[in-house]
Amino acid sequence: MKLGVFVNDYKSVVDTVDRFTAEKLGLIFIQNGVFHTTIKENGKSSALLDKTANLYVLAEDLATRGLTDADVDNRVKVVNYGDVVDLIFNEYEKIVWL
Amino acid sequence: MGTLTIGCFASLVGSKSLDFTLKLAKAAVDKGHHVNLWLSSNATIIGKAHQKHLKDYSHAEKYVRELLEKGVEICECEACALARGIQKTEAIEGVQWSAMHWYLAKIYNSDRVVHIGGE
Amino acid sequence: MSVIDLGFIIQRPPYKSETATLGFTHAISYQVVDILLDDGQGVNPKVCIVGEGVLCCLSGQKAMENYGVTSLESHIKNALLVDLDLYVCKEDLERFGITEDKLIDAEDMGADKKLQIVPLGEIQKILNNTKHILAF
Repeated sequence: MKLGVFVNDYKSVVDTVDRFTAEKLGLIFIQNGVFHTTIKENGKSSALLDKTANLYVLAEDLATRGLTDADVDNRVKVVNYGDVVDLIFNEYEKIVWL
Repeated sequence: MGTLTIGCFASLVGSKSLDFTLKLAKAAVDKGHHVNLWLSSNATIIGKAHQKHLKDYSHAEKYVRELLEKGVEICECEACALARGIQKTEAIEGVQWSAMHWYLAKIYNSDRVVHIGGE
Repeated sequence: MSVIDLGFIIQRPPYKSETATLGFTHAISYQVVDILLDDGQGVNPKVCIVGEGVLCCLSGQKAMENYGVTSLESHIKNALLVDLDLYVCKEDLERFGITEDKLIDAEDMGADKKLQIVPLGEIQKILNNTKHILAF
């Protein structure tokens, strides 16, 4: 399946993500989940960024938290709400909210 | 264009998940998709009229009314609302009240479903 | 005209929040969804209980006595009574040290179905084959 996962919190959800099997997995970081794309805890990027090449972060939630595109790991694409709608309809069949 | 059904269980004020839900719904309908919005659990509070917009707090009434005008079908769980002391007479006009099978029925006819759980 | 499978993931423990309860009650409402659909249409929930959600399956819950609310045990028994498929992750039961004798059973209510303890791999297959996933 093509699975899009909304990561909305900074707490670790690596174990949960690992449990999904998908031919295509996308992680969409929103709300406090955006910190996965910007913070290096003890010098290390979030393990979630290694789970798939399809990584997206919501621009509005970055800006709300005082973060900019420059803070985002270069593996992650910055998107807006319209882009998120397109991801839902065009790229992923099923969507899960973590 | 397709049909998106969103189920939101998060509360207004105290979580931004409901704010996200409303923004996502608007983005989808602005792109020409049909949107159904099911509100259950603490999310039922946004169906109540006369919300006061205070800047320290999320507010939803204005956005809910805009979504209704754009043709979004919004329905809240009657049992969840009544349990929280919300009466039908206090509801925002145009917001439907039904039970959980409404959500499942909308899901049946949807191309995509985003289920946004409670806290 | 067809019936679609819907994946329900119950992953939260019971009672602090009502999330798990809502997962079961939404699944149970499948019985009446045909009121709003055309003839022959329907939904078939596949309820997958994983992670801390397996803690909802412990028998002997006293929620009504202590909080005045219907227990998850009652909801799970009702779910079995209305022939819902409830799959409990074997690995998560083992992780929490929960043995089968501690789990809810609805045989006393006349249910034909029981909680189905299955490996995670089986749950992954089930979710792959559903049309949509609702993670509670």
